[in-house]
Amino acid sequence: MSRASIAALRALIEQRFPDAAPLTGGAQTTEQVATGIGALDRALPNGGLPRGRLSVWAPQGGATAILRASCHSVVANGERSAWIDSDNTVAGAFWSDDHGLYLVRPKSRIHALRAAEELLRSGGFSLLVLAGAEPQGTETVRLTRAAREGGAALVSIGSAASMASLRLTSRLLCYGWRRSPFGDPAEAQNVTIRVDARAVGWHAHVEFPIPVTQHELRLSLESELADRRGLPR
Amino acid sequence: MSYVCLWSPSWPTGADFPADLVASLLTHAPRVAVGERSLVWGDARGLHGGQLAEHMLRVAGDYGYEDAHAGVAMTPVAAEVAATQSTTQLVIVKLGQDRQFIAPYALRVLSPSGEISALLQGLGIETCGALANLDAEAIEVRLGLDGVRLWQRARADDERWLFKLPLRSLPSASVEWVEYGLKDPERLLFVINSLAATVCTSLIERGERAREMALVFSLGNRTQRTHVIRSSRPSAEQKRWMRLVREALDTITLPDAVMGVTLRVESVTGNGGAQGDLFDRGFASAPAVEDAVIQLTDDQGDVVVTPENSEHPLLEQRTKWTARTSRAARSTIKPQPALTLQLLPSPKVVTVDTESRRDHEVPVRYLDGNEWHDIVEAAGPDRVSGGQWSSSYAREYFRCVREDGMMVWLFRGSQQQTKDWFLHGWWD
Repeated sequence: MSRASIAALRALIEQRFPDAAPLTGGAQTTEQVATGIGALDRALPNGGLPRGRLSVWAPQGGATAILRASCHSVVANGERSAWIDSDNTVAGAFWSDDHGLYLVRPKSRIHALRAAEELLRSGGFSLLVLAGAEPQGTETVRLTRAAREGGAALVSIGSAASMASLRLTSRLLCYGWRRSPFGDPAEAQNVTIRVDARAVGWHAHVEFPIPVTQHELRLSLESELADRRGLPR
Repeated sequence: MSYVCLWSPSWPTGADFPADLVASLLTHAPRVAVGERSLVWGDARGLHGGQLAEHMLRVAGDYGYEDAHAGVAMTPVAAEVAATQSTTQLVIVKLGQDRQFIAPYALRVLSPSGEISALLQGLGIETCGALANLDAEAIEVRLGLDGVRLWQRARADDERWLFKLPLRSLPSASVEWVEYGLKDPERLLFVINSLAATVCTSLIERGERAREMALVFSLGNRTQRTHVIRSSRPSAEQKRWMRLVREALDTITLPDAVMGVTLRVESVTGNGGAQGDLFDRGFASAPAVEDAVIQLTDDQGDVVVTPENSEHPLLEQRTKWTARTSRAARSTIKPQPALTLQLLPSPKVVTVDTESRRDHEVPVRYLDGNEWHDIVEAAGPDRVSGGQWSSSYAREYFRCVREDGMMVWLFRGSQQQTKDWFLHGWWD
């Protein structure tokens, strides 16, 4: 479209809609919820997860780690976030409750969707993550409407991307290991994540490392000594 | 000063005591009680005891009891002794001097039982001060519980409840009809809605929230059915209570037509709440969130939870999920993302191929469902065992990285000491 035709179009719009004010810059889009991870925010359209919209993040590949950090970041900014753990996979030992993040553990998938709708409609949450209960068809419509009414960024961990304004996938690329004296892998220390973000007219990716949380099970006095107590012989 | 004791040697005792005197005293004292031996007590807590006593003496004088005496003290026993034993009309016991005040008086002012009185007389204890100076253990061993009580009063340690607390009436509303029996649930709901409006308005006016309400149906067969409705959190909102009533009506069956309904509050709490944080960007929406969580709890039970972790060696038995009751303190520290362990609700049996690595076997691939996953790195074994006194367990855990990059948590062994392999979780 030529410059002259754009000017003509603008003049026509101004004539037809004299009260309309032109939007510029970020105001053309909804406000975003920053994930708090600088590299990722730069790769997301407008610098974060869209408020009042549905985003879909493909499961695994570090999605939980990033989204949970995003929830904590939202809380640190003085807003609220909630995590709906539909398939009850959150390990309590790794859930730090001192960040004020709401954790919902519903009994079933339907209960999870109801809980999501209820919390979204309250209008008090900036970010809501729905894990393990992928909405389908009309369920997606209802949740999207609730997100729009409540002004929350809704992120569903799943693969059904219909009605999603942002689609994210992530992959775990390579691990940094601490090796045992025998050269065997002993402890995964960090992993590099690649995140791909897709929206209408937008495709970006980013890679960054994150640490791996350890769970110490070893009860033996010597770390290299096998603990065979209780094992059948 | 806390207590005013009024006594006259000439006024009648028992049922003959003039009731209108008490009514007149209530114009000056917030609470008045007539105790043993027709002692009249006035509650002077928060008031000037001396002035109240003077007013009460004046009222007694108006009724013809010019010889009335009054005692004012911090404890009932000192006020009683001051009123009944002193020769002056008004005695005010100095603050903190109650014990010293009653010390010189004979023990009979405390009205001991005949048996204890004889025992104490045998021991040569004649005054309140002498009794108060004894050890508690010596009193307990020799005189028993009654002796200890007397000893406490001799020390002016008197915590009698002289004034009964008035019973609070909780809001309720009811309606009855005789011309017909109601069987239509919608009309019943309409009636209850009206009652709920009355009750909730009353609660709001009193600054209280109901935790429990009782719905009483008077039935055509002259019986009553009571259903208690509980809210997960106290509330004075008609809308919320009606939602709970509607849910209750869905589940109950009444044997006959309804001839009357009563809705009464069973228990209430005050309107206290957590202090909001003015710098919280979500401050304005806090009530809406609170409402949403309450509704969620009412609908689904305690699903908004927080973990309570123990030191149990098995991760799946380490956590007890409890309802999130209070608002957690907001942290301003932004945590960095970290890959953490996600647990399957229960370990899943998988088929695993292994290979030897020095003195142990490590998994090289596993079959989950119909799909084989190759393992490129395996760390372990991490061995855990225990529970010899209950249900024993012994597991060899491996942290395995699949070729698609996912790190999974496999273990061999089980509570039944089998050699099966299980998928217990993954890092995400």
